[in-house]
Amino acid sequence: MEQRFPAAAPIAADTLLAQVREEPPGGRLTVGDPRVVEFVTKFARKLLAPALARRFPELTSLGFFLRKGELAKALSTLETAGTALRFPRGLVFHVPPANVDTIFVYSWALSALAGNPNVVRVSSRSAGAAEVVLEALNSALGDVSPETAATIRATQRMVTYDRSDEISGALSRAADLRVIWGGDASVAALRKYPLAPHARDLTFPDRSSFAIASVRGWQEATPEARLSAAEGFYNDSYWFDQAACSSPRAVFWVGDAEGARAAGTEFRQLLGQVLAAKHHVVEPAMAVQKRVSAYGAAIDGLVSSIRFDGNALATLELADATVLPREWLGAGTFANARVGSLDELVSIVQRKDQTVSQFGFTATELTGFVTALAGRGVDRVVPFGSALTFAGVWDGYDLLAEFSRLVTVQA
Amino acid sequence: MSVFTRSQAERESLLLPELAELTAHHRANSAGYERILASLGIAADASFGAIAELPWLPVRMFKTHDLKSVPDDEVFKTLTSSGTTGAGASRIHLDKAAAGAQTKQLGATLQEVLGGERLPMLMVDTIGIIKNRRSFSARGAGVLGMANFGRKHTYVLDEDDKPDVEAVKRFLAEYGDKPFLIFGFTFMVWQYLYEVAREHRLDLSNGILIHSGGWKKLIDRAVDNAEFRRRFTEDTGLHRIHNYYGMIEQIGTVFLEGPSGNSLYCPDFADVVIRDPETWQEQPVGRPGVIEVVSTLPRSYPGHVLLTEDLGVYQGIDDGDWPGKHFTVLGRLPKAEARGCSDTFSGTAA
Repeated sequence: MEQRFPAAAPIAADTLLAQVREEPPGGRLTVGDPRVVEFVTKFARKLLAPALARRFPELTSLGFFLRKGELAKALSTLETAGTALRFPRGLVFHVPPANVDTIFVYSWALSALAGNPNVVRVSSRSAGAAEVVLEALNSALGDVSPETAATIRATQRMVTYDRSDEISGALSRAADLRVIWGGDASVAALRKYPLAPHARDLTFPDRSSFAIASVRGWQEATPEARLSAAEGFYNDSYWFDQAACSSPRAVFWVGDAEGARAAGTEFRQLLGQVLAAKHHVVEPAMAVQKRVSAYGAAIDGLVSSIRFDGNALATLELADATVLPREWLGAGTFANARVGSLDELVSIVQRKDQTVSQFGFTATELTGFVTALAGRGVDRVVPFGSALTFAGVWDGYDLLAEFSRLVTVQA
Repeated sequence: MSVFTRSQAERESLLLPELAELTAHHRANSAGYERILASLGIAADASFGAIAELPWLPVRMFKTHDLKSVPDDEVFKTLTSSGTTGAGASRIHLDKAAAGAQTKQLGATLQEVLGGERLPMLMVDTIGIIKNRRSFSARGAGVLGMANFGRKHTYVLDEDDKPDVEAVKRFLAEYGDKPFLIFGFTFMVWQYLYEVAREHRLDLSNGILIHSGGWKKLIDRAVDNAEFRRRFTEDTGLHRIHNYYGMIEQIGTVFLEGPSGNSLYCPDFADVVIRDPETWQEQPVGRPGVIEVVSTLPRSYPGHVLLTEDLGVYQGIDDGDWPGKHFTVLGRLPKAEARGCSDTFSGTAA
């Protein structure tokens, strides 16, 4: 295995496992360990350097997430009351997705903050942002006290290896918790390797997401708020070519037909302005892909009308609001429908549905909607512009809680 | 009867009504095609002012959906081809009339350069490629389709894919002093025929070469169309060389390289539109874009106006060897890749 962080010579899986199992210098890590907090804070500072932020906007979000104040807030949720004490879960083996460059850092950082030794498999195809992250991690080792650096080196490993039953098998057998990102295919591939009897998987399978917009809310919004909704929606959808699990693939306008038509038209125009302002370029192959998907949806009887506003924006009017395509249809392709009220959406929600991006609803309306869903699906409801913002509660899991365990004491 | 006679103006006036009628025919007989056009807001009685205004389908639609304009019981032949994109296989349904028309028009097109006689034929392939009649590769289908236009077929490769120099020498001794036909895929013609002929100083000066399949495999040998032609002529005497461009989704329609080379021409029942991939408007001569192929042949399935996944450029209009537009193919569109949470790459997780 190639050792990417801490950068070191290639190593065999067994040797690496023996090393992270040893008692680290300065003693075992604890939940919210100050040494980890110190290291992560220094690392976050590097990500927020202006030069990096310009090149990789997603690193800014990551840097904010890992600031000292944010970490303290997150860790405060772990405080226990009464007879329970919280401890790290143990060795965590992370398998992040190959094509979102920053997920592995969120996964790793929260687990490290919970006090776990970690082995993270970084994809060999990791692109620009991931390389920058690894550089920042390695150089942050020089910004902390030698004692802290020694503890981090002993307990935290990021490695790259080509497909290997032997290595994936060994890391799986040794793990107390295995974290699998990257969708159904990754989960199925890793499940072939048995875990220890006490160990568990934390899986992040394929998900899909949609947006809801209140016609009344739109009508009451100022022109500035409407434009900023379009900007937020652009970030939610276009940053990862609409292929991120939390990017909306359908937009439901909620309200009367006349109002929905007017609001939808205006929203499309505003989104077009944002796309023009961002000089959003669509590769010809992607433009063709979008047409193949859109025409395919028409053949399948899912859509009644298709509208292209340039190559960047395709709007597919659903023939039936309750039958929506959940698969990826190409960057900037949105199923569109109107419903009279949020209640009409309840029956179409599936377990697979993850994020609902919303505009113009009140907290009461949204709580009512989620209550009516009664656990059918949907893990988070966020305003336009926050769909891709990672949070410590993800896919319904409180990650810090998952990365730790409780011990109860009765005298 | 040549099929390379129509000027661009004649194509517009003669082909456009035919293509508009085909569009209406497919709308009436293919529910899927009708749904696409209806959802694009194209009225049932829409009229089209020019060939370039006709609605096009991406060629990949035939990989993702079964589109046909004949009832199931009239399907006479279903062609399948797996493209290079890995998006599954195209399925093209032909009824008896369509199957007959495509063979007839391919013959008419090639007659332009082969004359009316069946010529002795060198196949730059192995007979193995057509042995397994149940599953044809695109190559096998090409070889088999072309075999009809020749006689006394001799295969250049033996069963182990090795050049059979003796067989080629025997063929040339018997037929080489009169016109003969050579067919093969571009990279194989280069690798097996050119290199063997140069090494053994074979005389191919009476040959007429028909070849297709693209230049991708020859890029690392720094061989493009002009170089291909020049070296064949200099080293083997072969000078009648005709590349062609065609696809299974428009079977029977081939765009043929003219005698002076380096430009592809449209037969009278076909046309081409080069589109700007940003605006989808037609490009002027000299400006590259995505190739759309147009043909009146596809009547049993809605494949008469197809956007390919190839880039090309007009070399000129009504100013080449034959009338009409002539163009060159520049290569394939690069693949669309998306980032996202789910690994779009297969087989990498373990």
